Amino acid sequence: MNILEMKHIKKSFSDKAVLQDIDLCVSTGEVVSILGPSGSGKSTLLRCATFLERADSGEISYLGENVVRNDSSGNALYPKRKDLQKAQSNFGLVFQDFNLFPHYTVMKNITHAPIAIQKRAKEEVFQEARQLLAKVGLTDKEDAYPCELSGGQQQRVAIARALALQPKILYFDEPTSALDPEITAEILRVLKQLAAEKMTMVIVTHEIDFARMVSDRVVFMDNGYVVEDGEPEDVIDNPKNERTKAFLKKLHV
Amino acid sequence: MRTLTKHTKGALLCVLLCAIGGVLFTGMSPQAKEQTQFIVGFDAEFPPYGYMDESGEYVGFDLSLAEEVCRRNDWTLVKRPIAWDSKDSELKSGSISCLWNGFTMNGREKDYTWSTPYVDNSQVVVIRKDSGIKKLSDLKNKILVVQSDSSALSALTGEDATEDNKKLADSLKELQQVGDYNSALMNLESGMVDAVAMDYGVAAYQLEGKEDTFILLDERLSTEKYGIGFKLGNTKLRDQVQTSLLEMLYDGTFERIAKEWKLDSSTCLSFDDKTYADGKPVPAIDTDSLSKATEKQDASSDAVKVKKKAQKMSIREITRQLSSGMLATLAIFFLTLLFSMPLGLLLTAIRMSRFKPLQWIAKIYISIMRGTPLMLQLLVVFFAPYYVLDVKTPYSYRFMAVIIGFSLNYAAYFAEIYRSGFQGIPIGQREAAAIMGYSRLQTFFHILFPQMVQRVMPPVTNEIITLVKDTSLAFALSYAEMFTMAKQIAAAQTSLTALFVAGVFYYLFNFIVAYGMEMIEKRLDYYR
Repeated sequence: MNILEMKHIKKSFSDKAVLQDIDLCVSTGEVVSILGPSGSGKSTLLRCATFLERADSGEISYLGENVVRNDSSGNALYPKRKDLQKAQSNFGLVFQDFNLFPHYTVMKNITHAPIAIQKRAKEEVFQEARQLLAKVGLTDKEDAYPCELSGGQQQRVAIARALALQPKILYFDEPTSALDPEITAEILRVLKQLAAEKMTMVIVTHEIDFARMVSDRVVFMDNGYVVEDGEPEDVIDNPKNERTKAFLKKLHV
Repeated sequence: MRTLTKHTKGALLCVLLCAIGGVLFTGMSPQAKEQTQFIVGFDAEFPPYGYMDESGEYVGFDLSLAEEVCRRNDWTLVKRPIAWDSKDSELKSGSISCLWNGFTMNGREKDYTWSTPYVDNSQVVVIRKDSGIKKLSDLKNKILVVQSDSSALSALTGEDATEDNKKLADSLKELQQVGDYNSALMNLESGMVDAVAMDYGVAAYQLEGKEDTFILLDERLSTEKYGIGFKLGNTKLRDQVQTSLLEMLYDGTFERIAKEWKLDSSTCLSFDDKTYADGKPVPAIDTDSLSKATEKQDASSDAVKVKKKAQKMSIREITRQLSSGMLATLAIFFLTLLFSMPLGLLLTAIRMSRFKPLQWIAKIYISIMRGTPLMLQLLVVFFAPYYVLDVKTPYSYRFMAVIIGFSLNYAAYFAEIYRSGFQGIPIGQREAAAIMGYSRLQTFFHILFPQMVQRVMPPVTNEIITLVKDTSLAFALSYAEMFTMAKQIAAAQTSLTALFVAGVFYYLFNFIVAYGMEMIEKRLDYYR
């Protein structure tokens, strides 16, 4: 089953077309990396998928249920805030710059929303949070504040925080580009483990090796279009499109 | 605040609310109205007619006369010091019964309903003894000081000023105006100005004990008379007071009181004045029930206890006397914070709302509150009920007006500080909260508000410290906070000590405030 289905997504920022007729489907358990040069529209696509940005036209469905569709004049029609929030509960998002809540401890960052928003039982949430912290290797940082952690540690807390809300699909927006290269390995290890647990993930990145190591599928975007979509080996090692070739060549030099 | 549990927070809030409720309630409770109140409005920085003595009482020649008038009419005397600039508004709005305070009639004959004159007071010029100035014409190219809106000023530049005085005013290097005589004389003593023009009675008081420093010019600017000013048309009360004064004159009480204040040489209350300034006849008194002042009583008047100039007070006494003013200052400070900080938050919410008209309302409000003087806003809040709505306000409204005025003003400043705090929070915080399912309200209270509080601590501290000093502006509504009292004591003492003590208090208060705020800031500094 497709968890996410985006069809004919178009988005412009004051005359500049950033997304031009994009289709993207992600099925259960899939790990998809979205690659592309900066300005290709990959982050905007993710922001449209998470409703942080509103598409000009197109359709978006989660778990087969339509959320955004076109009205008769071809403009994207968004539902009421409440329905949007309901659709939002299907996914989590890990930001490039983490966006942890600085005034909460690590533990409260992870547990606050499940308890205060989802109204789940405290004990259950805390127990699960501890398991998540163990999974990302931060068992001893429960009471630390985000400012006391390194970038890599903060990003792992952010992943645990997103997971605590039990999303069906987890988005990553350039999860490693604010981090040192050696720290990237920490994040990669966590993502690989999640992939092994069949977590559905969409990762926007420009790190080729990262994409190759973690994903089942790679989507290459350029200038607002998806120009290539396939197995990592095919897209990265045997690109057919000229833009993909040029981009990869530049990186390999 | 992390260590406070929810319960203690709640309890604290309750205590605070009760305290405020108590203050407001006692402030509003109706005063006992068994007797008619006779409210004398006076400038408490005008010895010997009205000032604060060393025990903190308002005393003076005029107040002694008023006391006696009230005793004879079975009225309750209320001595109400007012800001002299607001005297007409106070009288018109009925918050005082009359102006009785060495109040010059000349030039104001048509503005008030007057008693007959009771003091003949000339405008004299005070100079330094060593200045070499001998006569009025020597003041050419010199700096002369007068009190703003005073008789001396109108004697020099008013419509009825004599040609000689107008010429004199033109020949001066500068005609300066100051708020009170105390600072005028300090200017004179320090050589910053050359002469001060003032009422004879005031000069006599001010110069007592300073004969080595100051002298009076023999020439006078003008002669003028003091009367009691009532609201135009209030002839009934005027006649009652006039009758009592004449009775006092008849039985010698008036003379005795004048002697007590060493003003017996300048009184001019007389049975010869058969009509008032407005042409109406002066009522005759019933002399049968009175005993005429006799020679014998006159002879015994040597025994009259002459009131001395306010005695020099030690710093300790000044501090003790200022302490009630300090309480008033503290009350203004805490109540203003209590109301303006939440009000500011509401204003921020309106200012940042997505509904444009609301946004504009908040913008205009903030712009007006920040763009006009706080003193003016206080006057508007206090006098608007009378002038706009024609509602007479009780005396307790004075304090409420101070708090309302301050709160409305400070809310505007706090609102802008909060807004900058909110705007400094990265947009990612809002986005993360939205993705995680926080509603707008939940995002505000759980995520944004606590971060805003930490961010605005430094500018809020600044604003609070400014507030400590701004409390002195309450004098505009004649509310006796500490600085107003310090000025009154300084005037009575003809010395700066009281102002110095006030300065020390402000400094200590701010020192504590700054320290407290630093502690809170440190408490909140557990994250960045």
